Amino acid sequence: MERRSFLKGFGVAAACAVALPHVASAADEKKVVGPNEMKFETAVAAITGGKALVASSKVKMEAPEIAENGAVVPVKVTVESPMTQKEYVKAIHVLASKNGNVRCANIYLTPANGEAFFGTRVKLGGTQDVVAIAEMSDGSFLTAKQNVKVTIGGCG
Amino acid sequence: MKTLIKIKPKDYKAGDIVKIDFMAMHPMETGMRKDKDSGQLIPAHYIDEVKFMFNDQLITKMVIWESLSVNPLMSISFKVPGEGTLKVVAKDNKGQSVESTAKITPKG
Repeated sequence: MERRSFLKGFGVAAACAVALPHVASAADEKKVVGPNEMKFETAVAAITGGKALVASSKVKMEAPEIAENGAVVPVKVTVESPMTQKEYVKAIHVLASKNGNVRCANIYLTPANGEAFFGTRVKLGGTQDVVAIAEMSDGSFLTAKQNVKVTIGGCG
Repeated sequence: MKTLIKIKPKDYKAGDIVKIDFMAMHPMETGMRKDKDSGQLIPAHYIDEVKFMFNDQLITKMVIWESLSVNPLMSISFKVPGEGTLKVVAKDNKGQSVESTAKITPKG
């Protein structure tokens, strides 16, 4: 699909931080780079500081398997934790693995939350994994992901 | 920037865990979208920090990026310790900030 017709077709309903493959090619002078471009690996390394990510059923991610509109994709993350001063979830990080800037939100929680929960709506430029990383108070990092098929990208 | 705070459910007691929904009317421009008429890129304009406070004590801090949808919704849990004021401060990358409050009034 040509970029122009793609943009026209979708209108101005939404914008997103996703570099379309043909836009990102070096030959294309009109390459558009968002202000906070970041690759998935870089973002994960920045969060974990090189520590291992452990896929865990303690992290529950709710996102649709198929999203008709990539501009508004509901995402909910719940992490099992007693949320006491001793043991709680320090932070939840939500990443969209293939967006231009993969980072969506970092949520720094406290025991006052009572429950480790975060809900939001994200823009997805195309079919990709939405990843949640939970930073626990003991220093470990748990993760869960959900693949979301996007029929209309969140760009335009 | 218009904002909205919703507490669910409406009736709660001290000690209950409620959901706080915070919504802000904001374009969340990514900086990658072009103006239809001029063909110029629209500069990035997005909320980058949101703080939830109860009686001036920080409950949750969020650092967010342009990947959140237009008019973003942020929802968290909160264990109601008692009566007080919930304050949400949102700031965008152009330095605009908005403060909104909601009363926390547990029943029983």
